[in-house]
Amino acid sequence: MKNNRILLSNVNLHYASVAYQERSLKSLMAGMFSKRPKASKACDIHALKNINVEINSGERVGLLGHNGAGKSTFLKTVAGLYPISSGSLKVEGQVRSLFDLSLGFEPDATGRENILYRGLLLGLSPKFMREKEAEIVEFAGLDEFIDYPIKTYSAGMQVRLAFAISTAVGGDILLLDEVIGAGDANFMSKAKSRITSLIEQAEILVLASHDFSALKSICNRGLVFHHGDLVFDGEIALAVNEYNNINGL
Amino acid sequence: MLSYFSRIWAARYFWVHLALADLRSRWRRSFFGVTWSIIQPLGLTLLLTLVFSRLFNTDIVTYAPYILSGIIVWEYISANTVGGSLSFVQADAYIKQCNHPLAIYTLRSVVSSAIVLMLASLSLYSWVAVVSPQNIGWSWLATLTIYPILALIAWPVSTILAYASARFRDIPHALGLVMQSLWFVSPVYFEAKMFQNGGLHALVDYNPIYHILQLIRAPLLQGQWPTVSNYMFSIGTAVFFGVVAVLVGYKSERKVIFYL
Repeated sequence: MKNNRILLSNVNLHYASVAYQERSLKSLMAGMFSKRPKASKACDIHALKNINVEINSGERVGLLGHNGAGKSTFLKTVAGLYPISSGSLKVEGQVRSLFDLSLGFEPDATGRENILYRGLLLGLSPKFMREKEAEIVEFAGLDEFIDYPIKTYSAGMQVRLAFAISTAVGGDILLLDEVIGAGDANFMSKAKSRITSLIEQAEILVLASHDFSALKSICNRGLVFHHGDLVFDGEIALAVNEYNNINGL
Repeated sequence: MLSYFSRIWAARYFWVHLALADLRSRWRRSFFGVTWSIIQPLGLTLLLTLVFSRLFNTDIVTYAPYILSGIIVWEYISANTVGGSLSFVQADAYIKQCNHPLAIYTLRSVVSSAIVLMLASLSLYSWVAVVSPQNIGWSWLATLTIYPILALIAWPVSTILAYASARFRDIPHALGLVMQSLWFVSPVYFEAKMFQNGGLHALVDYNPIYHILQLIRAPLLQGQWPTVSNYMFSIGTAVFFGVVAVLVGYKSERKVIFYL
């Protein structure tokens, strides 16, 4: 068995507030010369506060927390998208993440071309994608529309295609962010079984969700976030209780 | 540093595909398709030559390829500065989803515009071969060096601009103005001797754009090898911007995602 691991020690993450304040050279210059204190000052957002977590091979981890508690930030940090401001982050294993499914389509290209596109985006080779293409087309079930440009698709069809592509390949470490809930009823049941098989293949799963029954059935460990703090780390059933406690439910 | 380049190499299928897709979408559903990138500079050359050769009393046969070489190289430069500065902003969907090295998104415009440049330069080679066949010689091999050298300049420059533009969104707008003034003080359409006759030697002698253009102009238009100082200036420019780009990237690469 491969030794896959996620290790966070004393991880802090700040969203830089400058990104929302000084959007232009003008405001930067004006700020440099004016003595007047700013009327309102948005601080850096401390999105993850001193997080210590170790996740080992075989674990199924559920993330709980109110909106803005830091679940998605945690996932994106593990995926290597956000830079941590202090502490250390170690991720061993191939990470596959499903965040926002509909991002990154080229509207003028056909569905078939976009399959190749997204595959390459995920770091796969064109040869591999051509092998997988038939299976993805079949799963998406878009019939003749697969050869039409993406811009002619309905929102539901886009989600189906995105889902089919993104879930065609698994990874050692699977990061999911509220993706369950795509397409019509018929597609949903197909999607659920696909996700389940992906989860079974993955060595490590980290899932952020508000669906307690799904979390309880899939995960064995729960992390509860509250305003950027990790307040609970333990068995999933206890984590759900803790989450309800904290949020006064 | 080395691992950064190996990650760029690992993502090669992705950025090559992005570059080719840019070209495909540019020519999609147009009758002339690829040939537009040849027709466009040729048409502009005809127009400008007719006007300028009258204005400046120059020989139309030799002045036309001069303008054509200026147009196609300038097209490349402005595609990678004005267009390249938007690389990160336009690729935000990819950047927010995947942890690829950011330099691949500027490499995308470098590759696609290099292909356009090579196609467009075909018309330059054939034009010169017809009107001044006496220039054909071994020195034409030197023209091949302009493509890698231009790419080595354009990649870091567009990367630096893309970082700056992600932070300050005014920059792409300001760049249009800056590039226009740069064009005005460089021997792109105007002949170098016009600047020299006007006592503006510095605008030619210390202008990297002049030296880069000489890499293709000296062999094709004069049948001579580019001089050592042409190469020194061109490569020096590439090294300078390369170092700046590495420093800027080292400091800001991870923060870009917050600004998108």
